[in-house]
Amino acid sequence: MSFEPKIIAFCCHWCSYAAADLAGAARMQYPHNVRIIRLMCSGMMHPEFVLDALSQGADGVMVLGCHLDECRYREGNYRALDRSDMVVELLEDFGYEPERFNLTWVSSQESDKFVKAVTEMTARIKKLGPANGIQG
Amino acid sequence: MAVTTALEWLGSCSGCEIAILNIGEDLLPLITETLDIVHAPLLMDHKYFGQCGEGVTLEIPDAVIGIVTGCVNNREHLEVLQEMRTKCKVLVALGTCATHGGIPALMNGQDQQESWEGIFTTVSTDPGAGVPDVEVPPPLDRVYACDEKVRIDMQLPGCPPNPEFIAEVIVSLAEGRDPILPSKSVCDTCLAKREGKGTVDKVKRFIENVEFEPGAPIEEMRCLLEQGYMCMGPVTAAGCAKRGVPGCISARVPCRGCFGPVRKGGNQLLDMMNGLVSNGIDYKSVVDRRSILRFTGAHGRLRPVKKRVAKEKN
Amino acid sequence: MTLSEVTDIAGRAGNFTVTVKEAPRYVDMEKCIGCGDCTEKCPKQIDSEYDAETVKRRAIYVKYLQAVPLKYQIDPEACIRLQNTGTCGACEEVCDAGAINFDDTEKIHRIDVGAVVLAPGFEVFDPTDSGVWGYGTFPNVITSLQFERYLSASGSAKGYLVRPSDSKAVKKIAFLQCVGSRDENLCGNGYCSSVCCMSAIKEAVIAKEHSPGLQTSIFYMDMRTHGKEFDQYMECARETSGVRFVRCRVNGVEEDGTCDDLRLSYINEEGLQVEEVYDMVVLSVGLQTPKHALELAHNADIKLTGDNFAATSDFAPVQTSRAGIFTCGSFAGPKNISQSVTSGSAAAAAVSDLLASARFELSVGASFPDEKDVSADESRIGVFLCHCGSNIAGVVDVEALEEYTATLPDVVYVEQNLFSCSQDSQDMIVERIQEQNLNRIVVAACSPRTHEPLFRKTLKAAGLNEYLVEMANIRNQNSWVHTADPDAATSKAKDLVRMAVARVTCSDSLKSISVPITQKGLVIGGGTAGMIAALNMAEQGFEVHLVEKTDILGGNALNLKHTWSGQHVPTEVAKLVDKVVWHEKIVVHREFEVTAAEGFVGNFKSTLTRRDGLKRTIEHGAGIIATGAEQYIPQEYNYESITRVVTSVQFDKLYELNEVHVRRAKNFVFIQCVGSREENNMYCSKVCCTHSVQSAIGLKKENPNRNVYILYRDMRTYGQREALYKQARKLGIVFINYELHGKPNVIENGQVIDVEVWDHILHRPLKLEADMVILAIAIRPMSDASTLSKLYKVPLGSDGFFQEAHAKFRPVDFSVDGMFVAGLAHFPKSIEESVSQALAASSRAVTLLSKKEVSLDGVTAIVDEQNCDGCALCVDVCPYNAITLVDRIADDPDAGILIRVNKAQCKGCGICQGSCPKRGVHIAGFTMEQISAQIRAALAV
Repeated sequence: MSFEPKIIAFCCHWCSYAAADLAGAARMQYPHNVRIIRLMCSGMMHPEFVLDALSQGADGVMVLGCHLDECRYREGNYRALDRSDMVVELLEDFGYEPERFNLTWVSSQESDKFVKAVTEMTARIKKLGPANGIQG
Repeated sequence: MAVTTALEWLGSCSGCEIAILNIGEDLLPLITETLDIVHAPLLMDHKYFGQCGEGVTLEIPDAVIGIVTGCVNNREHLEVLQEMRTKCKVLVALGTCATHGGIPALMNGQDQQESWEGIFTTVSTDPGAGVPDVEVPPPLDRVYACDEKVRIDMQLPGCPPNPEFIAEVIVSLAEGRDPILPSKSVCDTCLAKREGKGTVDKVKRFIENVEFEPGAPIEEMRCLLEQGYMCMGPVTAAGCAKRGVPGCISARVPCRGCFGPVRKGGNQLLDMMNGLVSNGIDYKSVVDRRSILRFTGAHGRLRPVKKRVAKEKN
Repeated sequence: MTLSEVTDIAGRAGNFTVTVKEAPRYVDMEKCIGCGDCTEKCPKQIDSEYDAETVKRRAIYVKYLQAVPLKYQIDPEACIRLQNTGTCGACEEVCDAGAINFDDTEKIHRIDVGAVVLAPGFEVFDPTDSGVWGYGTFPNVITSLQFERYLSASGSAKGYLVRPSDSKAVKKIAFLQCVGSRDENLCGNGYCSSVCCMSAIKEAVIAKEHSPGLQTSIFYMDMRTHGKEFDQYMECARETSGVRFVRCRVNGVEEDGTCDDLRLSYINEEGLQVEEVYDMVVLSVGLQTPKHALELAHNADIKLTGDNFAATSDFAPVQTSRAGIFTCGSFAGPKNISQSVTSGSAAAAAVSDLLASARFELSVGASFPDEKDVSADESRIGVFLCHCGSNIAGVVDVEALEEYTATLPDVVYVEQNLFSCSQDSQDMIVERIQEQNLNRIVVAACSPRTHEPLFRKTLKAAGLNEYLVEMANIRNQNSWVHTADPDAATSKAKDLVRMAVARVTCSDSLKSISVPITQKGLVIGGGTAGMIAALNMAEQGFEVHLVEKTDILGGNALNLKHTWSGQHVPTEVAKLVDKVVWHEKIVVHREFEVTAAEGFVGNFKSTLTRRDGLKRTIEHGAGIIATGAEQYIPQEYNYESITRVVTSVQFDKLYELNEVHVRRAKNFVFIQCVGSREENNMYCSKVCCTHSVQSAIGLKKENPNRNVYILYRDMRTYGQREALYKQARKLGIVFINYELHGKPNVIENGQVIDVEVWDHILHRPLKLEADMVILAIAIRPMSDASTLSKLYKVPLGSDGFFQEAHAKFRPVDFSVDGMFVAGLAHFPKSIEESVSQALAASSRAVTLLSKKEVSLDGVTAIVDEQNCDGCALCVDVCPYNAITLVDRIADDPDAGILIRVNKAQCKGCGICQGSCPKRGVHIAGFTMEQISAQIRAALAV
């Protein structure tokens, strides 16, 4: 059977989660590998969840937040950006390919961008293989 | 009636044992009345496979309490630990090596083979010397904390652990109650003035003194992290404080993180770096960030940096 | 009420009867769940109005997917069945909700109201009939609105820039400005539409982002980017994005051969005839009042201006000619988004003023049964699986899902619903909660963004805390997007339900708390904006403290004589001062300044200090900053050394006094943009073009023999002010364009002043001999703005003016709750805009003050005292300064410290939670535990 990765996507309630809803309303089709967890802001996202997810069997983790300067809470997405730079580096320390993490800005209207991000991430992880590959 | 107790040390420097002795006067009633020590290589040299060749099997008597110190990094450690688990009802991991791998687990951050070669075949070793493979217990693939190999009933970290809490653990076990131990971070016991980390943009290396008024109490010194030093207090379990101030802080030195993470399963490296970036502090200013795991390299936290394999290309 | 129009407004202010005609929708709004199955089956296709005819829609449709309410409607003109009974009816067959009603009829409603706000908006000019641009003839000539749809990801081209005729990738676009604006010959709309320059730049920039390498040219007469930060945007478009700007009016558009390319001919700035070929031409169509709005104006019996906009006064810009009827948005003149939003709030303020005595008379509070405490009970989870007609059940195997759900831990009850959101399902859920003693609910249906409020209410009705419900989004994020793979969709649905169950297991009952409010306002600044805001708040019944730095009320308006429409400013200001001073609810603090401030929304405490040191402390629930602005003192044009080089403000005084130099002078030269739109002050001061034109008209009218010249960069007589510009040209006032790189030289030459400038029309240097030079000086932010900014933690923008919370949608709010901004403190603007903004600020403040307490959402940060140890990692990350360090036990410093979260300031963003290394703080409803549980559940299989 072909490898069907499990991807956890943390979506901001105000933007990407709405874009995902809109993608549905427009009946856009995308891979079924992503499981969305709704947060109020991408800045709420504790980097610990990235490692948690990967160590529990996720093959990739995405954070989707509002475009810079469009955060409902002023600067939550800047925090997410700072953290994501750090997480990408730390993933290697902990034995994961940095490509397993992805941060994308998607506004509530950009259903196409959401679909694109999810589709690309799925393709990328499929190429990369299961996450436990390089552990241990 | 005294509780039977077995002590063992694995990959240990004996600092933890000294910490037990440092319980001081209170130690006397503990070892004379509370505990009945049935096995303790520290006190009575007890070699299983001794120089004289007298033993062929592990001989650890049954005990109610077992206390192990040190990490697990070779087959002997593993066998002794497993025997302790079999023989003791309650097994306590004492000290950061036993709980999180400690200093020996720094080794996990490097390629093991290279390290062994580096240790045994340097210019100062005998010509032709190699990595020994006889009369030395074979090493494990990496350094483990005790709970990675056997079930551990109680963890008391610290490098060394605080004698006061060692006594508390022993007494509470003897009395059959939960011990009262610190559950928060070093900051909880730190009296340095805190306001927020917003003014820091980079962390400094500790190559110059922190700012403080000599002779003035710690209360009048600004938090060392807020002074820009990599103080690991926020991500390190409390317990080192004696006389009301964390050990290093009382010496005006930033916390090194020797008690391991605050939360079970916590990750000092990730939590510390996250604390920094969330406050807008440039995480790239942290020199050798992996050294944040200097005491907690077991549990797969510290691992050799892999050369990236160009495998995704195909 | 949608699909409705007002046909009559009878009565008078405070007591109107409005007749509303509601057209039939043919779809029952109560039943329609917005699934869209009907549209898919509808065989009839016609042009979509929303997409500016660039795509087709069906006869049963919603305008666009984000429409509110998301309820379908049938276009009776297009519907086969409605045109011909007995035919079609496909939508009725496919609608599981039974929402189609072909027998729907028109309804007439009569509604008693106290006030009416007219906001019918605008339509874009239709260039079909004015042939010169080839619109309607050449397929690649489109309007800016159509272009907007082409660029949109949801538009026909899916965001790819291809041209309509042959789907060829577009390489070169021309934007033609002022199509249907500033043009009485072709369209009869003499006014400037005010927003098209900016929108053309935006479209050009976005188009370039879409297709790298794209060339964009904007052909314009004057670039009118007079809004806040607009000039910066234009410069950025020019310098960074490479948008080309060409000052000229294009003669016409012709087709280039047979390849659908378009040829433009124009005379360039060097005076040469040029021809260029483009792939696509975008007509920046102007705004105009639609016919139905003209009818509305007629029915409402209000006056219109010559440009067909609602007539208003500059000091009451939302008041129509008929008392009790107000207006907002572009009906009273072309407006951009922020101006429209501002005028909307301003209209609300005006209505509240009129109807203040009736406040809360009609409001009813909902009542719910007492909440059951379930914190100690074991989890008993009920899961409701929605079919959503066939929207979910058509893809997901709901039977299998039910079977699976029943095996999940703590799930004691599972039921399928055809529509979980229908009223009978709601009643059923309430019943089940009680009968099965459920204490946590999962609804697997659509999105929590749309339906969570509904199910929260259901829980409340059942006596459960509203936060104990969780939705699994198995429609929008599952069945709709994996239609072709039912197995995968079913297994994903199982995951989503498992995740929701895991999450709701860790959910706690949350209580929204409320904070009492000091029902008083503070207005800082006693200029026009400050006085208007104070007066409106006071008229609505709230005590207002008005702080003025100087010893006189009036502010910058004291320097002005006339508004652009000719209203006498001193008279109006005097009236205003009178009302303010004598109002029993307004306390004026003259010669006071704010020197200290503390507190937060609803509970501010500000300290005012007089020059002699006298202090007053004011407690207030909301604050409005209306501190105005300063005049720029010119360093250029030898202003310092030549006596007869004066600023526009000085000139007004001299002119009014009929001073000897003015009286004797024959040649007047106005220089525009002095201190504006350059280097560090890259903003337009907005009022100076109109002001100079008005002064020039005055001079010329008084004595036609005078020579009046206006040296300008772009004439920005936006909106209906364009009439002044036209009048000035008619009177013979000479307008000479100069560019930033060739600023005029002003040199004293004996009795006269030589003004040298490059004439762009004659293409040679020009020397004007002036008796008087008037510099149109910039408006500068107050030099002490930063002091207030720090006191109230409200930000300043890069240009030094106060920064609103959102440039478009929150134009008078600060990001700090309870603080608002109005007038020149925000950005240069005309009196009418200042007044509008002041009313809007008052409206926003009163929205707050009218409540005795603010109730705060339960989703806020909560300190876990078991874990928090006051390490202070979260203190500075909070964007709302809601976190402070406190002693664990107030009078025992040895007990350690921890953080405290001010609930009134906390917005629940969770940045603190994301920073904390020890789980010392969490967001209620989004705890680390809940998120962890979701991750674990997602990966459990």
